[in-house]
Formats: sequence, structure tokens, C-alpha cells
Amino acid sequence: MASSVRKRIVKDRQMYLMLLPVILFFIIWHYIPMWGARIAFQDVRYVGANQWAGVKHFKMLFSSPVFFNVFKNTLIISAMKMFIIFPLPIILAFMLNEVSSTGYRKGIQSVIYLPHFLSWVVIAGLFISMLASPDGAVNKVRIFFHLKPISYMTSTHHIRWVFVFSEIWRSIGWDSILYIAAINSISPTLYEAATIDGATPLQQAFNITLPAIVPTIITVFILNLGFFMNAGFDQVFNMMNDAVINTVDIIDTYVYRVGLMQGNYSLGTAAGLFKGVIGLFLILSTDKLSRKVTGEGVW
Amino acid sequence: MRAKRNGIGHYSIIILLLITAIVMVYPLYNQLVISLTGSDYIVEANGTTLVPHGFTLNTYRNVLAIPKVARGVLNSIFITAAGLVINIIFTSMGAYVLTKRNLYGRSFFITMIVITMIFEGGLIPDYFLMRRLHLLNTYWSVILYKAVNPYYLIILMRFFDQVPPSLIEAARIDGYNETKILFKIVIPVSVAGIATVSLFYGVFHWNEYFRAMIYLTDEGKFPLQVVLRELLISAEKASFIGSMNYLKGTAAAQLDIKAIKAALIIISIIPILVFYPFVLKFFVKGRLQGSVKE
Repeated sequence: MASSVRKRIVKDRQMYLMLLPVILFFIIWHYIPMWGARIAFQDVRYVGANQWAGVKHFKMLFSSPVFFNVFKNTLIISAMKMFIIFPLPIILAFMLNEVSSTGYRKGIQSVIYLPHFLSWVVIAGLFISMLASPDGAVNKVRIFFHLKPISYMTSTHHIRWVFVFSEIWRSIGWDSILYIAAINSISPTLYEAATIDGATPLQQAFNITLPAIVPTIITVFILNLGFFMNAGFDQVFNMMNDAVINTVDIIDTYVYRVGLMQGNYSLGTAAGLFKGVIGLFLILSTDKLSRKVTGEGVW
Repeated sequence: MRAKRNGIGHYSIIILLLITAIVMVYPLYNQLVISLTGSDYIVEANGTTLVPHGFTLNTYRNVLAIPKVARGVLNSIFITAAGLVINIIFTSMGAYVLTKRNLYGRSFFITMIVITMIFEGGLIPDYFLMRRLHLLNTYWSVILYKAVNPYYLIILMRFFDQVPPSLIEAARIDGYNETKILFKIVIPVSVAGIATVSLFYGVFHWNEYFRAMIYLTDEGKFPLQVVLRELLISAEKASFIGSMNYLKGTAAAQLDIKAIKAALIIISIIPILVFYPFVLKFFVKGRLQGSVKE
């Protein structure tokens, strides 16, 4: 046995040689930082070796009202995005499917995918400008209808909705691609038969299209659930300001600000690790759920 | 034949889609208009201006003359190009080897890669690693950072999986070594896959700002996105164009902050707009290949 393994390795030595730098990259950029995350259990010393500190930093974290608020914000923002945004790409895919002119459909599609490729820095810039008070587009329209202009970016009542809307703006088109593909793979004969039976387009949408894409819907939903702890660092980071910080601060921005900027390295790493472990648990359990429901894992 | 679609329902869908598309484009269009508006009219220009009054390219000329903007553009091009070359070489090497089904240890290596998709050390350990490697404040920190993306590696594996094995066997019989097979046979027949993954990596590097912001300290090394962020967040003209320029009242100092921001936003998305139409079909394909979320 052992010699046959050796034979296979020797035979494929060029392959392993090519794989080596790739595996090294993964060890350096992924596994060493994982090992580095042990500073969550240590006190960082500038001179000499770090001292083990047990779960001291986690205790500190869980007794901190700031972190409690940050954790709450993460859950609220993520839940708002998930439940409000989730159905929209499906509706969009349905609408696109109803368009009879291929040229029109392609034109619309090429426009609505574009925002996905813009950076959050740019998107934040666009939204700050559009929502500016009083001369951004939105407030111009409000003034036209004799409504008071609102300073959306600095209003604690509105900023989370700005996150929801800008996320919709960025991802609705791109996220519809999966559903469009699922719809396209439905056999046209189903529609032909339904048409002969006198089914209206609406009846067809509900009785043919919807059932056919339910597996895709379930898969995407489960996948989103797995990434629930990612409330959207880049978005929040680029759109936050001092006026709304208590409403929008999430775990990732906390790690950056309190951990890296203020130099509380162990505390910041502990917060990141806490989020990572919850995320890991979510992904593993959604993977199990997915296998049960759709017969296919997330991977 | 589908049910005939010409009722009120059909038309309202068409109009709704049109409105969606306008909402997607309008914010960009508005910035374009503001960036082209003449300095005499810029004060009135706002979110609902549809046509640039006193059309001028002056803003662009002067914005590109601000040293940190010009540096930023060059830095972004350099980081994107260098990063892309490294990404593609190593991602395709990994993808090629791992598509070989009977490779000993294959599932171990794949598991090792998949784990990195669901768990990471985090921001602060990453930063400490960069410091230990003495890469802080070097271009390498942003070029090499996570040089092989596990998601893109898996996307590329699916493309390489479709290369006919007979092609590879024939090359082996001809005495090609594995590296030669990859670069002379597999990559050339997987243009769609390479294009898709290149574009993902390209957009990633071009849009990257956060790691650059924390790893680089020397302003001369900042990519465009960091420069843009500084302007959008700090929003102060004097500090942005430099107090010396400001006091001397150079051409850049005469510009309205609104126009500078708008021009910078447009400049930063030009490469994306230029490549976008060509790559649209590749991107869509890549999205379908990678069933996992980015």
C-alpha cells in the first residue's frame, strides 16, 4: 500500500510542485492569521512574549454595553437586509421573464447588473450626494411636493433604511441572475401546454415558474442565513458618521475602531473571533439544513 | 408559444423595469453632469440637474493635475495589473492540479481550501502578519494579500473540468510537462474561465480600499479608492488639494468641492464602464459557475 502511494506521489511530482506555492499562500494568508487569532486569549506585550490571559477579554467584551449595542446593531441591520431584500431579485426575475422583446430585456439586464461592480466607496459617494439636504435629488423631490427635506445620512431614524436601499440598489440585479437562469431552464413545452389550456400569464407565473424555481429560492435563502453575521462592513464603514454611530456600529466596524485603531488588539480579536464562531456555527448548520431540504450541501 | 403578452400587466411590467433601470443609472448620470458643469453654474448644480450648463472638461483637467489623484490612478493601475498577473498564475496552477481526480491527497487539499471560506483569523491577526513579514507600507502588502481567492479557485476548477481529458492525454504523450500542458493547452482552451476569473480579480483590486488604507502609510502609495474615500469622508477642499495649493489659489483650488467629487467618482469608474460591456456575458457565466456566495 505505502509503496503504491509513494509511486503515485512520485508520478505526480510536477503536480505537487505546482500546487506547493498555492498551498503556501493559503497557509500564509489564511492559516497563520487563524493561529494569530490566539491573541484573543492573551495580553499583548510590546517587549517579550505575550502572556496568556484566559477568557479575560471575552469577559470584558460581554460585559461591555458598547459591544452589546454593536452586536444588536449587527443583528438588526442584517435581519432588515435579509428579509426585506430577499424577495426582490425573485420578483425582478419574474418581471424580466414576462418581457417579450429580447432586446429590451437584455438592455435592462445590462444596466441593472452594473452597480454590483462599483466599490462601496463610490456607492457611498453617490448616496451621500443623492440624499444630501437640501439639494440632493431625493430632497429636491420632497421640496417639490412641499415636504420638509430630511438629512438622511445623519438621521438615526433613516440611516439603516439607507443601508437597506443602497444594498438593494447594488445587488438586486446581480442577485436576480441565479433566478433568471433557473427560469430559463424550465422546459418551454410546459408553457405551451398551459397556453393551450387557456392559462393567463399570471397563472403561468404562479403554477409553472414559481414551483420550478423553489429549490433555487430555498438554496439562496439558506446560503444567506449562513452569512447572516456579515452585516456589510464596507457599506457601513463608508456610510457611517459620528451622528449615527450608535445606530450603525456593527461588530466588524467595532473590530476596526476599538481593536486596530485604538490598539485594543486582544479585545478586537476577541470580538472578531466571537463573530467568526457564530458565523461558523451558522454555516455548518445551514449546510446540514440544506442537505436535508434540497438534498445538496452548501458546498 | 407563450401566452400572448400585450395586456395592461405586460405594459406595467415594462414600465416598472424601465423605472428600475433609471434608478440604477441616474445617480451616476447626475455625477457625470455635475462633473461637466461650468464653474459659473456649479453652485446651482444639484441632484436634479439633467444637463450640464456651461459644459467644460476643465474639472477633469484640474482634478487629474492634483498630484495625489494622478498618483492614485497610477498606483491603482499598477496594483491591479501586478495583482492580476499573480492571481491568475497561481489560481490556474491550483485549479489545474486540483481538477485531477486521482491526485493523492486531493480531498485533503480541497478541504483545506474550503475551510478558509468559512473561517478566518480576522483583521488584527492579518495586520500583525503583515507587520511580521515587513510588508507594511509596501505595494506587496496589497498585491499579495490573499493572493489566491478560494471562491475564484473553485470557479476556475469548474471551467478546467470541462477541458476534454483526451486533449491533455495527447499532450502528455507528446512529452509535454504539466506546466506546459497548463499554459499551452488548458488555459488557451478555457478563455471564458480565465476571463471571468480575471475580471473578478480585476474588479476586486481596482475597488480595494480598506487593506490599502490600513497597510499603507505613505500617501504616495495610495490607490485611487483611498484618495476618493479621503475626499468623500473628510470633504474638505483645503486638506484634500493641500494647503499650499489652496493658499496659492491654483486651478484646483478654484474648483468647487462638488465638482471635484463628481469628477473623481467618474474617473474611478471609467475602467469598469469601459470593460463592462465586453465582459458582461463572462461575468454572468462565472456567477452561475460559482454556486457559492462571494
